[in-house]
Amino acid sequence: MTKIVERQEIRTILDRVGSADIVVGIPSFNNARTIGHVVRAVQAGLAKYFPGHKAVLVNSDGGSRDGTMDVVRSTRIEDQAAILVHHRIDPVPVIATPYEGIPGKGSAFRAVFEISDALNAKACAVVDSDLRSITPEWVELLLKPVLREEADFVAPLYHRHKFDGTITNSIVYPLTRALYGRRVRQPIGGDFGFSGKLARFYLAKDVWGTDVARFGIDIWMTTTAVANGFTVSQSFLGAKIHDTKDPGADLSAMLYQVVNATFGLMETYPEVWKKAQGSEPVRTYGFQYAVGLEHVNVNVERMLGIFREGLRNLREIWIAVLGQGDFGEVEALGNTGDEAFHFPRGLWSRIIYDYALAYHQRRLPAEHLIKSLTPLYLGRTASFVLEMRDADQSGAEEEIERLCEEFEKNKEYLLNNWK
Amino acid sequence: MSDFYQTGVITTLHRLGKPSLERIEGELLHFSRTRPVALVLPALYSEFEGPAMPKIVEELSKVKYLCEIVLVLDKASDKEFQKVREFMAPIPGDVKIIHNDGRRVMEIYDTFKRNGLSVGERGKGRSAWLAYGYVIANGKCDVIALHDCDIVNYSREMLARLCYPVANPNLDYVFCKGFYSRVTNKMHGRVTRLLVTPLIRSLQSLGGEHRFLKFIDSFRYPLAGEFAMSTDMARVNRIPWDWGLEVGSLAEVYRNYSPRRICQVDIADTYEHKHQVLSSEDPEKGLMKMTIDICKSIFRTLASEGIVFSDGFFKSLSVAYLRLAEDTIMKYEADAAINGLEFDRHEEAKAVESFARAIAMAAETFMKNPMGTPLIPNWNRVTSAIPGILDMLKKAVDEDNR
Amino acid sequence: MQDFLTLVLEPFREVFAGFKRFAPNMLAMLTILIGGLVFARIVRALLRKALTALSFDAWSDRMGFTVMMRKGDLWTKPAEAVVRVVFWFLVIFTIMIGLSALKVHAVNTLVAQFFLYLPRVLSAVLILVIGYVAAGFLSRTVLIALVNNGYHYAKVLAEAVRLLLIVLILAMALEQLQVAPNIVVAAFSIIFGGIVIALAIAFGAGGIEAARRIIEKGAAEKSEGKDDIQHL
Repeated sequence: MTKIVERQEIRTILDRVGSADIVVGIPSFNNARTIGHVVRAVQAGLAKYFPGHKAVLVNSDGGSRDGTMDVVRSTRIEDQAAILVHHRIDPVPVIATPYEGIPGKGSAFRAVFEISDALNAKACAVVDSDLRSITPEWVELLLKPVLREEADFVAPLYHRHKFDGTITNSIVYPLTRALYGRRVRQPIGGDFGFSGKLARFYLAKDVWGTDVARFGIDIWMTTTAVANGFTVSQSFLGAKIHDTKDPGADLSAMLYQVVNATFGLMETYPEVWKKAQGSEPVRTYGFQYAVGLEHVNVNVERMLGIFREGLRNLREIWIAVLGQGDFGEVEALGNTGDEAFHFPRGLWSRIIYDYALAYHQRRLPAEHLIKSLTPLYLGRTASFVLEMRDADQSGAEEEIERLCEEFEKNKEYLLNNWK
Repeated sequence: MSDFYQTGVITTLHRLGKPSLERIEGELLHFSRTRPVALVLPALYSEFEGPAMPKIVEELSKVKYLCEIVLVLDKASDKEFQKVREFMAPIPGDVKIIHNDGRRVMEIYDTFKRNGLSVGERGKGRSAWLAYGYVIANGKCDVIALHDCDIVNYSREMLARLCYPVANPNLDYVFCKGFYSRVTNKMHGRVTRLLVTPLIRSLQSLGGEHRFLKFIDSFRYPLAGEFAMSTDMARVNRIPWDWGLEVGSLAEVYRNYSPRRICQVDIADTYEHKHQVLSSEDPEKGLMKMTIDICKSIFRTLASEGIVFSDGFFKSLSVAYLRLAEDTIMKYEADAAINGLEFDRHEEAKAVESFARAIAMAAETFMKNPMGTPLIPNWNRVTSAIPGILDMLKKAVDEDNR
Repeated sequence: MQDFLTLVLEPFREVFAGFKRFAPNMLAMLTILIGGLVFARIVRALLRKALTALSFDAWSDRMGFTVMMRKGDLWTKPAEAVVRVVFWFLVIFTIMIGLSALKVHAVNTLVAQFFLYLPRVLSAVLILVIGYVAAGFLSRTVLIALVNNGYHYAKVLAEAVRLLLIVLILAMALEQLQVAPNIVVAAFSIIFGGIVIALAIAFGAGGIEAARRIIEKGAAEKSEGKDDIQHL
């Protein structure tokens, strides 16, 4: 496979630019509607906070047909004075190019890493192209810790609605925190800052022909940084509001992608997570403020319906994964009514560990295994929604904290059974 | 009829007034809808030729609340297995007989062995354990009750009282052990009266208060073979396969559950079963082997609780035990006198001497090999080693009973 | 008189001549049979040793092959089963070669047919094994997908898929073996079609209520809108 930097038109731009301090990457696929806003925010952020640094903006596109790249190329801050106090003479060079390799966000990021490597960048950031709530400050918050050489990796920290991001809150965050011992609250946030050194480290990894190139790049970046001893921090960015392009996206497919990536990394770094004990907070940048959030509709009845359907139909699979004991407890949940439904935290953490073990022992094909987790996940989510109905943001956050403690407490079970 | 005094750290459920069997069975039938009960019966073929079994079958035929009966038959040929099936046929409901010496079940045992799981030699412990596995595999029952098959004066009231505390969802007990007085024209239960209780108390007087000793001492009849437990307990508890079965099982209960959820229940006014012959010479035989195993089991549990044993300690223990056991004989002599029971003081003294020797022998083997015989692994461990084992076991038993 | 003697002796002579011609073949057959049996026994002993050394039994316990055998009420040890299959295969093979050494025309064609048929047997076995695994896989895919979308009767439908696939695979295997091919194709069409029609009728007539519920549920969901919770 040819490297993207060897392509003629890219080469020309790179030669003209020579080197850069900062590279900001935006992966995209049919995001013409939203990407303009993101590009403007990034340009404003670079102009406002890094006027003395040489920066390059890279749009790594997956073959959009709605003119995404044209939007990127033509977007300029029309009235700089209105936004900026300082004047900036030269505009930020923009590289908008289709990436190579397996279609997916991972391949898009790979192109960003390559360009940052070729330009010998000190700091990089990547932001999603469907963000509606991005502000110029994000650029500063993601890049400053890296430029000041205080961090190699900056994860995002958002305020989200208490019922949003449930896969993160109930699986990915508690699991990665218990495994690797670092409290990175949004390991799959999608907006990251990282050093040029780390970008080169990513690039050298031989994963670009695997699932990482398609999806699961977010958790891969976070875990790789944590597991290889890079300094990790997080920055508070405010609210995350993005344009969900495909609201009907299949939940179990989403769950499969994320959980498969997380479990896959457990196979890569067993020696690291076996040693980690407890967890410690990471340094957090940014001024935390309350954010008004939109109301979220939740159909608990439907979730519980699917959970009970799972109980009726997936019995054999669940017994094979959970064993009779924990399955018995799950079965007992099936008898409680909607209002009294309570999915205990300890049980949930054991279930996730049981699934990790079943994945490790290849008891079922990975896709079947993880998709069969969906009804259990919906059961746990429904229980969370019911219990947190009247709680505020911080109440829900406390509940997540308690869940994490449960994961840390039960980690021994995982260690003892991992063979 | 007993008093209502509560002993020790566990709950004691007495037999007070004249409890109605009909009422208790009615309630059990009601509970069994939410907490179905399985009865496990470890049996030897020879017991079917004795006097106890016909009576037991007759009584069990009248029990309606049981969801299944699992009889583990040991030391039987294929022909004898068929005979036992006919023998058990009058009992309505789901009766399964595990043919321990049948080719299917033998193959199951071999499967354990070749996967590095040591389940010990044949005996009540191993049989009961296999039966739990079958109950777990069936997945129908939440409560398991167990009693021996050599009870001459069996009444189904024993079973009902045994099951009640665990089957009743309002009581929240996970383990319930039976107790009863072993009196005919004289007092029986020598091992409990003259070995276990004096030994536990002399250990307490030497080594100071210990929670496990207090726990064991709370049981009125720690060697009783009758108990009921939640099926979950059968998943996590490991059990010894030798004569230390009863004491070792109590040790596992102690290890895994709070004493608040443990109780003992008075199940019968009197109780009679076949008696072991005391052979003071050959330690591998009868009562002597049993007492040694029991002592070893107690020592081992205490050692695992962090108590350090030494030669000196065991020497003092022998002395302390002897004195306490002699005092105990005197107490029972008085007890026998007032009740007009036969009492052979000489026999009792001889028993104490044998027990003292057993303690010494157990101490010696313990010092040589503190780890001793391993317990049978619990079912959770077994299923993680051989994922399909429960299915295999179920298939083997179901095919045998077809 | 001389003629008569010749007449009487001639058949004997002929039989003897025939026997003389046939005897080496007979001997060859016996040698092959004995050699083959000895070979099969050696292979059996070696295989038994090798499988024991590899703890094949424990391995197949963990991999779930033992469970599959037990579910079919086969209680021999897995290694022993493999050993037996190999042994009997070798024995049959030897017998066939031995028979062909007799050089009897009728037997020869039989043996030739046997060897021509062998590849078909192998491919039929292959179809069965692969098909069985594939049927299980597909039916589980259907099951999980239906459950995750909250449909009733997921298990019934998944089982129906498995049943159809197994019928299909059996028909393919039989077709491969060329056991009465016409009947197999006809029977397959009837059974397959029958199952489909039965399902259609069961769902249409018996399950009108259920069908309506499923359809209404789908429609209701679309109209009321699902929750806008963002899982990621």
